[in-house]
Amino acid sequence: MNDNKIIERLNRSFEYLSGQSIRIMEVCGTHTRAILKSGIRYILPKEVLLLSGPGCPVCVTPESYIDIAISISDIKDVILVTFGDMMRVKGTYNSLSDKKAQGSKITVVYSPEDVLNIAVNNRDKLVVFAAAGFETTAPLIAVTVKLARSRGLDNLFFLTALKRIEPVIRFILQDERNKINAMICPGHVASIIGAEHFRFITEEFGIPAVVCGFESQDIAAGICLLLEQLTGKRRVEFMNLYKRCVSSTGNAIAQRMIYEVFDTADGDWRGIGTIRNSALVLNDKYEQLDAAKRFEIKTEQYSSAVNCLCSEILLGLKLPKECSLFGSVCTPEHPTGPCMVSAEGACAAYFKYETYFRFGGDGRNG
Amino acid sequence: MQHTLSMKLTSGLGEMGEMDEKIRLSHGDGGVETQRLIKNVFYQHFNDPLSKSMPDSFVFEARQNQLAYTTDSFVVKPIFFRGGDIGKLAICGTINDLATAGATPLFLSASFIIEEGFSIEKLHLIVKSMSDICRQTGAKIATGDTKVVERGSADGLFINTSGIGIVSEYYKPSQVEPGDEIIVTGGIGEHGASILLDRYDLGIETDLESDCAPMCFLINGLGENLKHVKLMKDPTRGGIATALNEIAAEQKLDLELDERTIPVKSEVQAIGDMLGIDPLYLACEGRMLIVVEKGCGEKVLHHIKALDCCREARIIGQFTSGHHGMIYMKTLIGGRRIIPILEGQMLPRIC
Repeated sequence: MNDNKIIERLNRSFEYLSGQSIRIMEVCGTHTRAILKSGIRYILPKEVLLLSGPGCPVCVTPESYIDIAISISDIKDVILVTFGDMMRVKGTYNSLSDKKAQGSKITVVYSPEDVLNIAVNNRDKLVVFAAAGFETTAPLIAVTVKLARSRGLDNLFFLTALKRIEPVIRFILQDERNKINAMICPGHVASIIGAEHFRFITEEFGIPAVVCGFESQDIAAGICLLLEQLTGKRRVEFMNLYKRCVSSTGNAIAQRMIYEVFDTADGDWRGIGTIRNSALVLNDKYEQLDAAKRFEIKTEQYSSAVNCLCSEILLGLKLPKECSLFGSVCTPEHPTGPCMVSAEGACAAYFKYETYFRFGGDGRNG
Repeated sequence: MQHTLSMKLTSGLGEMGEMDEKIRLSHGDGGVETQRLIKNVFYQHFNDPLSKSMPDSFVFEARQNQLAYTTDSFVVKPIFFRGGDIGKLAICGTINDLATAGATPLFLSASFIIEEGFSIEKLHLIVKSMSDICRQTGAKIATGDTKVVERGSADGLFINTSGIGIVSEYYKPSQVEPGDEIIVTGGIGEHGASILLDRYDLGIETDLESDCAPMCFLINGLGENLKHVKLMKDPTRGGIATALNEIAAEQKLDLELDERTIPVKSEVQAIGDMLGIDPLYLACEGRMLIVVEKGCGEKVLHHIKALDCCREARIIGQFTSGHHGMIYMKTLIGGRRIIPILEGQMLPRIC
């Protein structure tokens, strides 16, 4: 289908709605951003709500993790290394960015390869890589761990906050409050673990789900097929519309990397709590590279009391505009909650691409 | 790609046979070594009688026309990038600032702040690319200055240029109104994307180059048609999104862009996608945004596209009747979104 045909068909699918309210969750932060950037909300009827899920790694990284990273950065002779979007997330009191401004040795990297170079060039220092992400990031971190070992870099340690997406999707679908009717599955994670991995959404929970890409027309096609299923125009099924990147079984090499280096464990999610088997942690073979163990830091989860709605937003219960802090107290420049920090956080994306908060409309009228 | 660059530099060094010569503090103390540096590097390339008499001030006859005057400083990192270097950028940047006022360049000044230890051979390459652009455009370096600072007090080399140009008699900027059209003279974000590629080793093989180029040809090329032009702006730092936001805010008018018409090379789009940066916010150094009076867009575009530097020019949008100073974009799938002002720092030191 070309772009015009997709749009025509999407428009036709709106006619089948007959007033029923539809709540579609896009799990992945990159989708949230792509959706807002595509302007598609402007052409969707009011009955169709797109809800952002917990698929932005920065947004679900708990305060306790940031606090630990900060305490490690305070240790003499430590260089803390991290990806850029982690810098501005607040722990209980401070962000890594605040600490860097106060003089802590914190370096932003763009690829795990940079981390290895920093470790090689600073053999007299202890380098700690604070790495957060989902199954998309995990293989890269796994390769870095293996290279650190094979190159004998005994000064490089890992403070990971790596998460699995499946357990949190189950957690959300088991929560009846959010009334989610359909799901757009995370395309990037699917490319690693395989599209089939998400079939359970339809089979166990009975709702339509699509794996789709990130271009405007991918998203339009995904929403169109979900609406057709939800309005009885086609049977409810799980569909992979992103076959150009996602196979049914995924990337076997990347999967092997993950399971050679990590075990699953219970994981802490900001604003959500602990979810069973949702984290990837260094396994026995590589636990000497675990920074928390190296520095004997006790990990316990806690949440600070922020009166914003990030947690409800991540769980598909609320939209950013329903938060009283959104756009007034909480902005990308001065984020209160984690959903405003990352460019892929729901609040940051809504703030950037939609205007209703400025002119009192709902975004559809510009 | 960085390899190609360093090989080019190395071969340049070989030809000149002065492998190890570095800038020393004494090159900046005003004495014999300063004179030697000026003679051997700057005069060699700025081969112009104007710049050889070394007065403290350059004196020239003012003519009848309106004159434009501008200045800009350049601190780009890396100093050599694909498609240019800090020298080319410093001359083009000032020439382009003059062009926004409808002016073609007459005289430029060039001041150098050099870090102790900087390679004199690199300085040669940089000064040569400055003189190349001057030759192409007819701009003359009339005066300049050199300072050397201790190691660590500057990052290699900073350049300041200022320029005086003659304003075209046809160019009369005026109030922008709803319906006025917006032209961009070529593909967006190519400078910003090139700097990103050179700055961060992204492992991408591409022929992409900075669009860094002098835009003064636009003034003569448009000639009488400049009378249809209401405003010009070069979309450097922050790209066309930032430049258009500034225009919209200043004019207190909304404008609507059409995503389908904005020229973006696929490489630029891909690099932007990889790094999560919208090409609308990537800097251009050889492009102009031109606001043309309602109904004259196609006519002006026709003349612009006849110029070598502007073959990819397009009409990308128009001003609307809203008065919020907002930019909207009609997206590829017929949706709508705003193009906000950039928050936070995107890229350090791109010009």
